[in-house]
Amino acid sequence: MRSRLHSDDSGTARHERATPVSLFLGSDRSALIVTVLFVFSLLSVPKFNLPGVIAFGTFPLFLMFATRLDVNIIVKRLLQISPFVLFMAAGNLVLDRNPVMTISGITFSGGMISGTVIVAKTIISVAGLLTVTLCIPFYRICSALESLHVPDLLVTQLILLERYSSVLHKEAQAMQKARDIRSFGRRGKGLFRTAPLLGSLLLRTTVRAERLYRSMSARGFDGRLASRSPANMSPQEWKTVGLWTLFFLVLRLIF
Amino acid sequence: MHMSDSLLSPVVGGTFWIASGALIGYSAKIITEENDNSKTAFMGVLGAFVFAAQMINFTIPGTGSSGHLGGGLLLAILLGPYRAFITLASVLIIQCLFFADGGLLALGCNIFNLAFFPAFIAFPFIYRVIGGGSASPEKLAFGSLMAATAGLLMGALSVVLQTVLSGITELPFGTFLLFMLPVHLAIGIVEGLVTWGVLVFIARTEPSLLVPSGTAVHPRSTFALFAVLSLLVGGVLSWYASPQPDGLEWSIAKVSGSSEFRPVSEPLHNALAALQQKVAFLPDYGFKSTTESLRNPESPVNAGTTLSGIVGSLSVLAAAGTIGLLLGRKRTEAERQ
Repeated sequence: MRSRLHSDDSGTARHERATPVSLFLGSDRSALIVTVLFVFSLLSVPKFNLPGVIAFGTFPLFLMFATRLDVNIIVKRLLQISPFVLFMAAGNLVLDRNPVMTISGITFSGGMISGTVIVAKTIISVAGLLTVTLCIPFYRICSALESLHVPDLLVTQLILLERYSSVLHKEAQAMQKARDIRSFGRRGKGLFRTAPLLGSLLLRTTVRAERLYRSMSARGFDGRLASRSPANMSPQEWKTVGLWTLFFLVLRLIF
Repeated sequence: MHMSDSLLSPVVGGTFWIASGALIGYSAKIITEENDNSKTAFMGVLGAFVFAAQMINFTIPGTGSSGHLGGGLLLAILLGPYRAFITLASVLIIQCLFFADGGLLALGCNIFNLAFFPAFIAFPFIYRVIGGGSASPEKLAFGSLMAATAGLLMGALSVVLQTVLSGITELPFGTFLLFMLPVHLAIGIVEGLVTWGVLVFIARTEPSLLVPSGTAVHPRSTFALFAVLSLLVGGVLSWYASPQPDGLEWSIAKVSGSSEFRPVSEPLHNALAALQQKVAFLPDYGFKSTTESLRNPESPVNAGTTLSGIVGSLSVLAAAGTIGLLLGRKRTEAERQ
């Protein structure tokens, strides 16, 4: 199962030429811990401190260039930033009009600053997270989660979900295409006509699950795909986590 | 309804990480005890089904827009609450890690808002009560509609509370709530109708899939419900607590002309008062005076009161749980002897 996951062609496309992120973030486990610390440190920056937020952009920027990751992948995902975030940022813009600073005759309101901080925090945190997850294959992220004492069941569920989402994605795409060809605009795309289509997809899914379970049982499946026992953190991992923590602390103290 | 990191404070995000992590651990324990491996494979494929089903759009009547199935309630009906919770959590983790849909810090909030309410509240307390185990299409329709709508509305309310508690947005609590609830009421009705449509199709073609799951929510989940309610009351309703003195303070004021006893200047009293001042990190259910000034005097929202309420509720739960555990052990030991 693991070797198949390693070479899968799922929707979660990874950059083939990326330099291993482990050179800069240590093991996969320490990379995940450093990413969580990065997000927490970034979000602890007060809502009017724009320079403090921008300073944290050094982390994703450094990793992107150091790992030679295709920036377009990140930019494409960033363009799909949640409309909810943009709405909240716009809300600040409208509701807080108190002037807080003037630069070259242009007055900036509190809402302009805090709204920009919201968007900047989103871009930087998403870029940091995506850079790390795109550099580490999914099965290794699952192993790292397992070594961080995430329950086996959840790790197994994640592995199965990642593997079969691409298979069912193709099935759903084929159904959607067939319906589009036959529906002529909106005809046949109503709510109650879609329900049987979804039901049909569900039945196909259950048949597939049954086949999957039988073949897995034949190979000795005992309910777990995640089986490695969690090891303690090595001194090297502690060192990596410590150094990055120090870096984030310095950023918070300076800006 | 996926929340982004930038709208959350580390305290609120961290709290919900712990809450969702605890729920994942508890659900995993229950499922592992069941030892039914066939359902593990089913969970994985059903999680993938939710992803795939979201590709199939339908037109929403009267709006000209389109929507897709959310899947929370459907998963709870097919898998039972614990497996549905783990499956939904895995879907949200993948969405967060690879699609940037919802932030990493916000993951705990998103799991709580989108998985906890449909799996542990809407399904057992609404769907099962109204339509669970019934073959009547009307009951099935009403149950699906009510459960899906309630689950989504509770999630939306939770989003508002988490955002306002974080203090990042300038949107007032009432305005934000008025914006979120009607939108999610409409989405919930559509989700309920689609879920009902899918259930009717399955009932006709493969009714065995709708056999109630063996994992029902038992009294322990009632405990979870009370835990959530106590956190909400402690964390939010405490903003609206009366600023008037309580009965004891009122009586003292009437008798002595002051609302508090005059401090006794004895060494023991002074030492204890100094110790209390050091230990009490949330004096008078608020932050210490240095941070209190950050509070907007016109807003009822008070982060200090909220934190006090939540810390208080959790402390009581922990104390009650520990006492129960100790008494339980003592009883078991006594029974053994």
